Amino acid sequence: MAKKIILLVVVLAMVAAACSSTDSGATAQKSLLDDIVARGKLLCGVNNAVPGFGFVDSAGEFSGFDIDFCRAVAAGVLGDPNAVEFKPLTAQQRFTALQSGEIDVLIRNTTWTASRDGSEGATFLTTTFYDGQGMMVRDDSSYQTLEDMANTSICVLSGTTTELNLAARFNSIPYTPLTFDDNDQLRNAFVAGQCDGWTSDKSQLAGVRSNWPDGEGGPAALRILDETFSKEPLGPVVRDGDSKWADAVNWIVIATIQGEEFGLTQGNVASYSGDNVEIKRFLGQPTPSSDGGTTVFDPGLGLPADYAVKVIGAVGNYGEIFDRNVGPDTALGISRGLNDLWTHGGLMYPPPYR
Amino acid sequence: MWWRDVGTLRIVAQVVAVAAAFAFLGYLYRNLVTNLRAQGIGTGFEFLARPAGVNVAGSGFEASQPVRSVILLGVKNTLALVIVGVPVLTVVGVVVGIARLSSNWLVRKAASVYVETLRNIPPLLVILIAFNAVLLPLPTIDNALHPLGVLVVSNRELGVPWLVPREGSGLYLLVLTVALVLAAGIWVWRTRRFDSTGAPHHRVLWSSAFLVGVGIGAYFLIGTPFQVSLPEVRDRIVVGGMAARASYVAVLVALAMYTASHVAEITRGSILAVPKGQTEAANALALTRFQRLRFVVLPQAFRIAIPPMINQFLNFTKNTSLGIAVGYAEVTLVTFQAIGNGYPAPQMILILMGVYLVFSLTISALVNILNRRLQFVTR
Repeated sequence: MAKKIILLVVVLAMVAAACSSTDSGATAQKSLLDDIVARGKLLCGVNNAVPGFGFVDSAGEFSGFDIDFCRAVAAGVLGDPNAVEFKPLTAQQRFTALQSGEIDVLIRNTTWTASRDGSEGATFLTTTFYDGQGMMVRDDSSYQTLEDMANTSICVLSGTTTELNLAARFNSIPYTPLTFDDNDQLRNAFVAGQCDGWTSDKSQLAGVRSNWPDGEGGPAALRILDETFSKEPLGPVVRDGDSKWADAVNWIVIATIQGEEFGLTQGNVASYSGDNVEIKRFLGQPTPSSDGGTTVFDPGLGLPADYAVKVIGAVGNYGEIFDRNVGPDTALGISRGLNDLWTHGGLMYPPPYR
Repeated sequence: MWWRDVGTLRIVAQVVAVAAAFAFLGYLYRNLVTNLRAQGIGTGFEFLARPAGVNVAGSGFEASQPVRSVILLGVKNTLALVIVGVPVLTVVGVVVGIARLSSNWLVRKAASVYVETLRNIPPLLVILIAFNAVLLPLPTIDNALHPLGVLVVSNRELGVPWLVPREGSGLYLLVLTVALVLAAGIWVWRTRRFDSTGAPHHRVLWSSAFLVGVGIGAYFLIGTPFQVSLPEVRDRIVVGGMAARASYVAVLVALAMYTASHVAEITRGSILAVPKGQTEAANALALTRFQRLRFVVLPQAFRIAIPPMINQFLNFTKNTSLGIAVGYAEVTLVTFQAIGNGYPAPQMILILMGVYLVFSLTISALVNILNRRLQFVTR
């Protein structure tokens, strides 16, 4: 008996010592980039309920604008656009999932705001989509402006900037917010007429509207009010404190925009044989160096030299991604607007690649 | 040698074990704080004073009020479910449990179907069915129904008539309270008289007659202290009466029905657990069927039922968190909402855990007191 107790004491003492001496402080960390290459798979946090951006189709496949950027990152880092595991997240789960390391990168129509950047442990990268908040109502309703919507119930996704903007915009207009944490439940409530308006980013509303079942009147049954009452720059997000990984994701996104500026498409990028030095440098092809030989430009991002070829070859350039998922020829029918290249009056402006 | 003394060693072992437990918790805590700091996430609770930034349905809550007010509002909404739900589920559960033992075939089978169906469905599913299949298909607020002329039925809000206090309502309530105490006194007096003389006590009749008499008399003397207010729809909002949001009704009804099915099983089991000899003894004394249940079987079954019943009350309380699925602004929803709006998750979850802990411990403390008072006194 006494022996047992002594043994117990010794074990407990050892445990206590081990605990108190373990230093959990931040030590030099390996970049997530190396982990992902070693793992051979990218974990991407996405939406699964917004047509055009992140949606699971009838075949069970993820598709959409954000999904394509996940594939682009996988193609750039691992050389394989399919080496990605999609983790569908609700608006509320997304930052916790990012902070806890459940996902490597969050590409889930997430708005860049100061407090998210500052106190969510998140680093926001190049904006992939400039959006703004709007209000969708049934076409047979009488609402023309937001001011008409006094004493209405408005459906909104909980834990979003949308919710905050709504409260701010309706500051002097009495309304009842119906908050759901899931787009499908919100949709049910809207279909049943539990709420008069559905507020979200306009692109998302366009996505929902385009997918509106014919049984419920099809897209014509819904109307999106003209007013845009917020700025919503959407883009990929990574964890704070890993600039190497942040740089890699950032430049993969930029590569799609740069590709469009250079006129490189999914079809021609692999077979580029022109002699534009800037394009050759961008694609990781040998360029003449000062000593008369050739050199392959390496910006030191930790990515393969030909990552731009892989990225654009996998998902196309920015314009192709846009047109394929949300552009004028799709059901969403969103025009480029702010999301056009800077040379066409938009905000897409890739930093120089040199 | 003191260090070879088993008594001493036991104490030392206890001390070391406690120290180890604290060291472990301290390690976890430090780990959390260090990692949060490393990611630039705050570790304090100052954020509770910052504005919530959102409005909440079914309340006058303003976006400029602080986060702690929105948490309190969530607590209030959860309590609104618990306070109404627990009595309802207890009554329904006990009635169904007794019905399962009925000698009437139809009643018995109907009760069995109720219990076996609901008990074997996850509560989340029951809530989703109640919300999506029962409440959402109701008419919209613009076409709200007015059954019997006194109710409002729509898929946004449901309204029932309610009493609104007028001048003198406080005085009236005071009179009623005094009358209630006096009625209890009359009850005791009649019981004592019965015990000493054996004359029929009629205590129910005596005390209720007194209470009703005082109630009616005071109502007219003070001059209608309460008025019935009927609900009506005005500008897409239910005014007057008492209105409940569809999500509240869905969660309340679904969870109360679900938990009642468990309570029914507890009731049935407890009645069956009363030794058969007790029933036979009651029969031997020529007690009627009602007397047998009221004075012999149920009091004993009740004692057996209380501990498992506490569990069901706790389950109900914790399951109210499923209200998040249908957008009912209970404490879990508002907490997650705040997390989504940029308030730190670890602290918010800690607060949420504390809230449920307080709920659960309070309920078990209350029922434990009741339990102790009802147990047999053994010497």
